[in-house]
Amino acid sequence: MITITNLKKQFGDFTAVDGLSFGIHKKGIFGLLGPNGAGKTTTISMICGLLKPSGGTIVYDDFNGQGPKSLIGYCPQENIFYPKLTCFEQLLFIGQMYGIASKIIKPKALELLELLGLKDKTNERAGRLSGGMKRRLNICLALVHNPEILILDEPEAGLDPQSRILVRDFFSAFGSEKTVILTTHNMDEADRLADRIAIMDHGKLLLLDTPQNLKKTIGDGDILEIQFENGNEQQISQFAGKLGSLSLKMTTGPNFLLIKHPNVIEHLPAIKTMAEETGLIISEFKLRQNTLEDVFIHLTGRTLRQ
Amino acid sequence: MKISGVIVKSFREQVRSFWVLLLSLSMGPFFIFVYFLIMESSKPQYNILVVNGDSGILENEQPLNYGKELLRYFSAANLEIGSTPFVTTEIGDRNTGIEKLKNKHADALIIISGSFTQSLDARKHHDSLALTGIEFIGDLTSSNYLISAVWANEMVNAFALLTTHSKRIVEVTETPLGISASISGFDMIVPGILIVSLIMLMFTASIAFVAEVENKTILRLKLSKLSTFEFLGGIGFVQMMVGIISVILTLFTAIVLGFHYQGSLILMLIIAGLTSLSIISFSLIIAAVTKSANEVLVVGNFPMFLFMFFTGAAFPLKSDALFTVAGYPVTLQGLMTPTHAISALNKTLIMNMDVTRIIPEMIAIIVLTIFYFIIGGIIFKQRHLKLT
Repeated sequence: MITITNLKKQFGDFTAVDGLSFGIHKKGIFGLLGPNGAGKTTTISMICGLLKPSGGTIVYDDFNGQGPKSLIGYCPQENIFYPKLTCFEQLLFIGQMYGIASKIIKPKALELLELLGLKDKTNERAGRLSGGMKRRLNICLALVHNPEILILDEPEAGLDPQSRILVRDFFSAFGSEKTVILTTHNMDEADRLADRIAIMDHGKLLLLDTPQNLKKTIGDGDILEIQFENGNEQQISQFAGKLGSLSLKMTTGPNFLLIKHPNVIEHLPAIKTMAEETGLIISEFKLRQNTLEDVFIHLTGRTLRQ
Repeated sequence: MKISGVIVKSFREQVRSFWVLLLSLSMGPFFIFVYFLIMESSKPQYNILVVNGDSGILENEQPLNYGKELLRYFSAANLEIGSTPFVTTEIGDRNTGIEKLKNKHADALIIISGSFTQSLDARKHHDSLALTGIEFIGDLTSSNYLISAVWANEMVNAFALLTTHSKRIVEVTETPLGISASISGFDMIVPGILIVSLIMLMFTASIAFVAEVENKTILRLKLSKLSTFEFLGGIGFVQMMVGIISVILTLFTAIVLGFHYQGSLILMLIIAGLTSLSIISFSLIIAAVTKSANEVLVVGNFPMFLFMFFTGAAFPLKSDALFTVAGYPVTLQGLMTPTHAISALNKTLIMNMDVTRIIPEMIAIIVLTIFYFIIGGIIFKQRHLKLT
């Protein structure tokens, strides 16, 4: 596992990462979320070895003493490749730069190109690929030296839906055997992929848990809107009064009731029973479950970042 | 293996940037062609050097030196005629004059004998047997020498007649110069243009280095196990090959247009290889202070201008020595390797000198190359490769 302890990074007077401590398990997909300027990229750069920490430690346990250069494959947010080299040539070149023999790299490069849907483009110059293909090539370049840890910065940015599914499946398969660390602004992506999610802001860790636990415990919760066929505002208020015993947040209207709770689904049978007891006939339930985005906004606020 | 990987990758990229490569490789041959046209159509000027060996005499306790008078006569004749193509210059000694003749910096050398005044004075005082000697040195097959010598001879006789009122008192002897004197003006500019073809490497090399920064692929290399030396060495090797091909193409063009070389081609290639390395090392400094090919093209113009026009590459340049090291003059232009490379090529290709005669130039090129590489390497690493 990767153990990060009291990690700090300062650029002059500005503190980008401020005493970060957490662990990343050897297998699985770890999501690092935060608004712009939260310190995600700085943290990742320190894990990769691109930046020197101002303080704290990063320890790579259970990786046979390998240093970060061999251990880590980094796929930056921006597509970085050699536009004048073919897909195969640049995979071969990058593999060689890690000191791997050509006879090992060549089959690995071909395998990766096939896995990420670029087999037909093996001998195509990278500069001529479409945006989605360039993104997939970027992922291949991070993997050619067979790293134990794959770090992805906004991996699905610029991908079409088909490519997104392909890449997502690939990450899931990779994460079942090795370690994936991803940063993203796409909460849906993080929710679908990550086993554990750390939310950070202003260089500090705010929360670290599974997506399910985060959604259950943080934020205003699920929103249930109940529309009534009959009844008036007084009856609806009376009904709301009964529901107060369940500690639910509510808003009443002329023929509807809004209920907010982190796990409102559990209370649905009781709500239905109480409505019937009050003489109200429910015409429609509208349920919007608590999302990771709600959790994120709850923790980091709505203020736009630089 | 990593360095071979960088070589292969850099070679592919270089070949595929064919417009930059084409322009770079064609610059030397193009300059050869342009200079050929210039030399063929340029207006002639005849440079005559004079060594005044006249010891003079005392007449009425006043020093009298007809050698000096003759020099003044030459100058006055020039002024009188106006746009004369003859330029006379006094120099200190015979060897300097011969060196300048060999380098085509002059067309004829005149040595005034020590007894010049004494003989003229004797003839003036009616000693009808008194004769004096003047030596003309130059390439007897050169039309420039012949024209210079005829004019100078006329001037000397006219001066003698004016001074002594007598004719036939000056005996002219001619000393032919060696084979180097048979070299044409076109031959003389070729070594400089060979170096111009290498100076153009400054752009391809700088762009090759800075492309990694511009494409941000330097990030991938920083993450890998590639060392700074392997990175710079791999790209530098390909650029050195480009430089040597450029020199060969330039030389071939010059030979086709009538260039006659004297010395060893192997030695020429060694000088070209060392100079290429030096230009590549200097390019590293340019790459270190820039972040894109566009910036290289803007920033690189200044050193290219200096290297082309202040080292003697584009045309012969006179420079005064700041000091000498073991007899080798060190000039301000000597801080730029093309100065030494041109000197070395002149010595080998024009004067047919062997390797022992160009050791100072070779040492200067190597020292400057190391100096450029260290400076460029440090700045490049600090700006583009170092972890922050």
